[in-house]
Amino acid sequence: MLNSLRQRLSNIPRGEDLRNRIRTLIDDRVRIITAGLSIRELRAVLRGDPPTEKPNPRYKVITTSFIAHLRPRYYPQGSTWFTHTFRLGWFTTFFFMVELITGLVLMVYYVPFPDQAYGSILEIESNVFLGELWRDLHRLGAEAMVLFTWLHLFRTYFTGSYKGARTFTWLTGVLLLAITAWLSFTGYLLTWDQLGYWAITVGSSMAEAGPVFGPATNLILRGAPDIGVGGLLRFYLNHVVLFPLVAILFISIHYYKVSREHGISLPAAIEEGDVNDNKKKEANRRVDLIPDLLTHEIFLVSVGILALLLILYFDLFNSPLETHANPQATPLDTKAPWYFWWLQGLLKIDPAKIIENLVNPILALPLLKPLGLPPLELSRLLNSKFIMGLIVPPVVVGILFVIPYIDRNPARLARKRPFAILWGIAWIFILLALSYMGLPQFGIETPAATRVIQDLAPEEGMGILRETPYEELLPGIYTVGETDPDGICPSDFSYRNRETGEEVIGCPHLTEVFAQFSEGLLRAEEEGRLPDLHATMLIEQFGPELIRVELDVIWTDPETGATKIYAKHYFLHEDRSLEE
Amino acid sequence: MKRIHLEIALGTIFIILSSVVLIVMAAEEPGRLARFEVEQRAEQIEFGAAVFEINCTSCHGSHAQGIPGKAPCLRCPELFASRLAEVGWPGSLEDYIVSVVSTGRQVSTRPALYQGEGKGPPVMPTWSERFGGPLRDDQIRAVAAFIVNFQGWAENPEVVPTPLVAVDINDPVSLGRVAFVQYGCIGCHAIDGLSQATTGPALDGVATRAETRTGYESAEDYIRTSILNPGEFVVEGFGDGIMPTNFSELISEADLENLVLFLLSLTEP
Repeated sequence: MLNSLRQRLSNIPRGEDLRNRIRTLIDDRVRIITAGLSIRELRAVLRGDPPTEKPNPRYKVITTSFIAHLRPRYYPQGSTWFTHTFRLGWFTTFFFMVELITGLVLMVYYVPFPDQAYGSILEIESNVFLGELWRDLHRLGAEAMVLFTWLHLFRTYFTGSYKGARTFTWLTGVLLLAITAWLSFTGYLLTWDQLGYWAITVGSSMAEAGPVFGPATNLILRGAPDIGVGGLLRFYLNHVVLFPLVAILFISIHYYKVSREHGISLPAAIEEGDVNDNKKKEANRRVDLIPDLLTHEIFLVSVGILALLLILYFDLFNSPLETHANPQATPLDTKAPWYFWWLQGLLKIDPAKIIENLVNPILALPLLKPLGLPPLELSRLLNSKFIMGLIVPPVVVGILFVIPYIDRNPARLARKRPFAILWGIAWIFILLALSYMGLPQFGIETPAATRVIQDLAPEEGMGILRETPYEELLPGIYTVGETDPDGICPSDFSYRNRETGEEVIGCPHLTEVFAQFSEGLLRAEEEGRLPDLHATMLIEQFGPELIRVELDVIWTDPETGATKIYAKHYFLHEDRSLEE
Repeated sequence: MKRIHLEIALGTIFIILSSVVLIVMAAEEPGRLARFEVEQRAEQIEFGAAVFEINCTSCHGSHAQGIPGKAPCLRCPELFASRLAEVGWPGSLEDYIVSVVSTGRQVSTRPALYQGEGKGPPVMPTWSERFGGPLRDDQIRAVAAFIVNFQGWAENPEVVPTPLVAVDINDPVSLGRVAFVQYGCIGCHAIDGLSQATTGPALDGVATRAETRTGYESAEDYIRTSILNPGEFVVEGFGDGIMPTNFSELISEADLENLVLFLLSLTEP
């Protein structure tokens, strides 16, 4: 026994031998982990040095590693020029990964039931270490992903990279745009606040307008006539299971086409333009995935992460969270997510009315009057919500789908396809114009008193009234037209700003609030919209550290002569946050 | 230097920078969490005040001062000093309030003082959705936070300010509007800009409708009768016996006068 142990010990190599043995051992392990690279080679890759062995072990990685095998071994240099792709597709994928990771973390804390959903969001923000950061990352990543998907689409369109072998890839790309929008849309509801609840209610109500199957579709989507327990759970499962899977499937198809079938397109100028041979040669030179592009992509990851963190650190982005969803109270200014504003704008157009207004005056003289026919009443037959909500958007998306099949022009250079370029630019303008029309400020008439008060202290969000420091809220009754905004507080009044510690003289913020209140109402009175105006701002100490501000507007209705009252009040606690 | 080297260098710097930003954020996080909690509490109190105003003022008074013979004061020293011992509640005051508001009171604990001894329906209705009431748990918690916030005043009654009146005291319509809030009409009847309650009929345009009711001398007579004797005419779609029948005992003649004038100002557009 002792002998055999002694023998074994004597077998252990020493000195140089031992070092070599250990080195080989480690090297073998590293080769297994890196799917083919030795330590020396790994070091060379990270330093950007040429391969250390022959044949190039870096290509071996592509065949042995699953992750790496998804990628091409090399790219033609021209397709990697920054000004050609702007890395838009790459960043879309990056944000998708951000969404997957942050989403998994948020799922740990989120509860998808109406009673607790909103509370669990507050819990994430108030009680989870770096919880707000996770939520902000998820929200910011989502907005960025939608934005980059659109930009990627426009880049592909303008460089003509959807032609020939790439037609099917374009198709999957449009599908991914729709999937991204749906992922983002379903996520909107989960916070269960007024913003999400009403954006989804308005959005999904379009399904209801559909023919024959409308009510049934609505029921399947919402789980009940209105969004409730069933609806939230459905949207949640859509958001965290079904559509991430669908997205991964189509991203795979989309990328597989790019990586295995046709590669990233070369700039059109290289393919078709008259550039000199040197330039062409350069564009066609191989750039290896490992190390050049891998290094570049790790660099892009570091740019992406740093950009996200800096945006959040400097508070340039905040995830909105409005008050708890209330199915009984429709908010005054309902707003869809920005990438659906164009849809909201579409819904404000009534095509039947437009056709009536155009056609009836023309027909009136020669036909309708002599023949005694009634004027055309299209709006009775055509439901505008149905047309603009259910017919037009699918047609728009449909056109996007079939662009490569409509556009048979094989040329990719912009000057050889001027019509397509103009068409693309026109679409950008149409989308922007429709988005502008989709804003709540456009085309919706709000009564004067309501508008003034809503601008001062919106139902959701802050507004300048809620931003007023507690110290400035001096109890009293202030009457519009009588109280001078500048004389609203005693001349010797001052307080210490609790954030900056600076001495503030007077009450500049409250003065501004009252001035805006007065100006808005007095202007409306002058315009005859609020005759016999009597308006007050009442500030009352309602409890310890609790102020109640009431805004009252009384006027005579110009049409009926009846006395009208519009009043709103707000409770403001000393410890409230003065920022959004 | 080749581009790849520049990218390696910059990438390393960016990753270090990102880590620094993250570490700074993590270092500030406990402070942010604490601040968020304070602000959250403040917003909960504000929200509670709004919920209280819509649901509780008809019995507990516009400023939680209570209505004699009906329901107790909720900002008075008694609630904070001795109430828990009186009912033998072992937990915190806030939890006690949550419990009472959620489940309501079938039988009064102080029948000699407040409603509950053969005077009308059970003392305090159940408010929680779980027991058929209208409020969610977070709303009830907020109401409790709002009431507990009165502790400062309950302990130092001398700091309590005299309430301001949100009215033009020469204008009966404006006074009537205050009465509408103070007597709790706001809890059941919707009026644009004041309340969105749906228990009773919405009152926008009530003056115009009052003109059309037959069997009354005038619109004013109809409104006055409907307040004092609500069973005489019940608007279609609403049940009889829901509106309290004791307003004749509660409301002063002057307040009633103003309230009627206020409702008469609500003509149809």
